[in-house]
Amino acid sequence: MEGSIVQKSKAKLVLVLVIGLLSLFFLLVLSWSMGAVDIDISKVIDSMSYIITNFGPMSGDAEQQIVWSRMVRSVAVVGVGIGLSVSGVVMQALIRNPLVDPYITGVSSGAALGAILSILAGISIVSLAEYTTPVAALLGALMAFFITLTLAESAGGRSINFVLSGMIIGIAISSITTVLIVSSDDNRLHGALFWLYGSFAYMSWTKALIIIIPILILAVMFMLYAREFNVILLGDEHAKHLGLDVRMFKRMTILLVSVLTAISVAFSGIIGFLGLIVPHTSRMLVGGDHRLLIPTSMVLGANVLLAADLFSRLAVRPNELPIGAVISLIGAPFFVYLMIRRGKEYGG
Amino acid sequence: MADDPQVSIKIEGVQFGYNGTEVLRGVEFEGNRGEFIGLIGPNGSGKSTLLRLINGILRPKVGTIMMEGKDLTKMKIEEIAKVCANVPTEFSEDFNMSVQELVFLGRYPFAKGLWWDNREDEGMVIEAMEKFGVYHLKDRKFSELSSGEAQRVLLAKAVVQCPRVMLVDEPSAHLDLKYKLEIMEHLRDMLSGNVTIVIASHDLNLLAKYCDKVMILSKGKIVAFGKPEDVITSQMVEQVYGVEVVIIKDGDDIYAIPRRTRRKEDGK
Repeated sequence: MEGSIVQKSKAKLVLVLVIGLLSLFFLLVLSWSMGAVDIDISKVIDSMSYIITNFGPMSGDAEQQIVWSRMVRSVAVVGVGIGLSVSGVVMQALIRNPLVDPYITGVSSGAALGAILSILAGISIVSLAEYTTPVAALLGALMAFFITLTLAESAGGRSINFVLSGMIIGIAISSITTVLIVSSDDNRLHGALFWLYGSFAYMSWTKALIIIIPILILAVMFMLYAREFNVILLGDEHAKHLGLDVRMFKRMTILLVSVLTAISVAFSGIIGFLGLIVPHTSRMLVGGDHRLLIPTSMVLGANVLLAADLFSRLAVRPNELPIGAVISLIGAPFFVYLMIRRGKEYGG
Repeated sequence: MADDPQVSIKIEGVQFGYNGTEVLRGVEFEGNRGEFIGLIGPNGSGKSTLLRLINGILRPKVGTIMMEGKDLTKMKIEEIAKVCANVPTEFSEDFNMSVQELVFLGRYPFAKGLWWDNREDEGMVIEAMEKFGVYHLKDRKFSELSSGEAQRVLLAKAVVQCPRVMLVDEPSAHLDLKYKLEIMEHLRDMLSGNVTIVIASHDLNLLAKYCDKVMILSKGKIVAFGKPEDVITSQMVEQVYGVEVVIIKDGDDIYAIPRRTRRKEDGK
């Protein structure tokens, strides 16, 4: 027999990962070199080796400081790119609809309400000032999720109940957010809007690590359950025929994926479409097997968000565009294309 | 009570209903290893419910179901999956899953490797795809197959599960004549491996030709269970389906040819 099926899958995965990581590396170097101030690539590479060997930049070197701060930012961008893409894959499998995004359970609206409340109220706990908004966003996200979950479970706990209650809760919470924004007239409004459309400005190493470490842990956990996600695609009853405890598995995953989404939006704000486009494109590239799909989505998500971040910093420099708006600008037409070209095929 | 190792399914006094409406009552039967059991009955007679009780998706309110001597209600679904495979009637899939990916899922209950399927799994998957004539479709998307092809893929998926009990729901609905017969023959070949097959179908003649025993369900009760020639009689079919039929014998085979519905005759 010419090359086994499993060997071919492995080869495909390795190929995707190698290309994905190479391009990610290329984008990283580029995003460390370009921005409000451009820094020579060779200088970036020098700084890189210095920073790695000394765990930090040379104190007097302004350019190295800039590279250092861009590195921080890029770590957060990569983390969120992975987080939203994996949440998208997982949520689509859970709901069994390839056209849903990870915000379907109302997580993003909840996060927005939390963040806006904290920004507009100007709450700041002295020593933790810079964490107030992310913590408020995280709490808001989890709160929205638990309301959605309770509502969905009391309506029968089926996938469609999650979609509907997520929508209802999302709309309800968004309207509160809108009222808050409209009725506030001070200069905090700008910060609020910036958060709403997503931004990676004002990152710190601690924040970046708080983003990327749990995201990677959760992504690896989901990868370990790749086979179960394949089984779940068959639908509840067929998955049970194959011996999967569907109810238990779905409960666990929906909890974990909501945490993953919440972490992904808490620090950087709401970035739409990524969790929809990346899983979809990955599925076109490597097919429906989650053993290939999850890792592919991870590298693709990191690449796409990093490219979008680079664009958001370069387009109107020295100012910045909100990255969420940049992604939506690419995402909306892409989604329209999907609906028209592939909507029939998917029946979604 | 000594269990007969030949008996793979034993159902006693099973009663089941959805939201107060009784669907099955007083169901009792035994299915032996290597036995091909056909399940017939009009729409709504409880065929699918009975299959879903045997595969553990539904739990009986009253009565017991034993699978290989174990009480089904005490078995975990992953244990049941190692004994019992299902071939569903219809199945939709929206995720670009390929034929081979779908067939591989049949190995899920036995998955040993952490992530990848091993050589043994792969060998079984290829063998099953070849057996049901879908190997050439292995890289195609499942959602693009014709219903006949899809049905054969689902059979291959059930076969790689190495079941000792196999439940098949309406396999011939979308198949043309040749594949109908071929699939019944494939299923019959599996019997030598001591599998018990329960197959629900509306095709009386197909079941009569291939099954060792036929069970007729009517309004939630087993009204007849036995050899096809004893069970499929013109009186029985008329009583259950309300259709007048002529039974024709051709050697060992019997055929029920419908003539007219009783209602028309009564009405005019």
